[in-house]
Amino acid sequence: MWVPFLGLLVGLLIGTALNIPIPGVWAKYLSIAVLAALDSAFGGIKSIFEERFNAAILLTGFFSNTLMAALLAYLGDQLGVDLYLAAVIAFGVRLFQNLAIIRRELLNIWVEKRRLKKRKRDNSE
Amino acid sequence: MNKLQNWKIPVFITFILLGVLITVQFRTQQTYLRELSQQSTDDLLQMLSRNDEEITKLEQELIVLDQKLRAVSTDVSTGENLTKELQQDILKQKTAIGLMPVKGPGITITIGADSPIMYLDLIDIINELWNAQAEAIAINEHRVTSWSKIHWSGENNMAVTVNGNKITFPCVITAIGDPNKLEEGLRLMGGVLDDLAIYNIYPVINKEESLEIPAAEIPNIRHMKPKIES
Repeated sequence: MWVPFLGLLVGLLIGTALNIPIPGVWAKYLSIAVLAALDSAFGGIKSIFEERFNAAILLTGFFSNTLMAALLAYLGDQLGVDLYLAAVIAFGVRLFQNLAIIRRELLNIWVEKRRLKKRKRDNSE
Repeated sequence: MNKLQNWKIPVFITFILLGVLITVQFRTQQTYLRELSQQSTDDLLQMLSRNDEEITKLEQELIVLDQKLRAVSTDVSTGENLTKELQQDILKQKTAIGLMPVKGPGITITIGADSPIMYLDLIDIINELWNAQAEAIAINEHRVTSWSKIHWSGENNMAVTVNGNKITFPCVITAIGDPNKLEEGLRLMGGVLDDLAIYNIYPVINKEESLEIPAAEIPNIRHMKPKIES
């Protein structure tokens, strides 16, 4: 369970240490890329719970989602269409769905564990 | 959950990348928000009015400093003018009393070596020249001033001295002034030349367009002081 947290911590430290300069105008596209990355990462965790995890899908999804999200937002700006909003809604909705599934799975595991413990106690009595 | 053994490394990598992305985006957003184009209209207006106030203040300061500069430069220029006037005054006075070398039109009077001349004859000639409005006179390059003395030399009373310098012959007296007037003054009937002719002294007089007369040495002033009337 600690692997995602540790990874996130290491990533934050690396990001702080590297101090990569990005022009302010790109902030909008980078923000949508971050949203896509969050979605992919949580999707990966969800797939672990659903026992459908595939490393290739996770990594390719992570990269292509972030890049495509940023590119689409940029393209939308050039065309005068707010594709940015479409990406925010699509990734946002999926992100919350994934989070909900993860929460449910974690809850199930917790409940299962308690039931097992209780059964053990009952058996020992 | 543990049925899939190979999930840890990809998830670890994914989350590292996610962390990097988040920090970069965080920082970019911070700088972006600090840009002028992202400031609220109220803030921008406030900044603008503050700048305007600053500009007015600096402009007023500039005006004050300009006035000061003008006052100071007028002072300097009046000072410079005063100095220039004083220098011109001093130069004029030095020229008048003979402390400056001078040049101008005039005449030369050459007295031959065989002339039996006395120092009184020289004084007569000098007096006549002054009378004919000579402005500067020299005898053998010795400037004649108000403190000059023309006398016999001490020992055998034969040589003539001007300011204590022995005069060698032929003796040349140089005078700056109107050449015609100077010559007329010397050639007056019953004047200096007629007197000298009695002793067979015939000085040669030449009119010159441009003559040079050296400066006298500054006299020693020990006792006299300028009397200033208040």
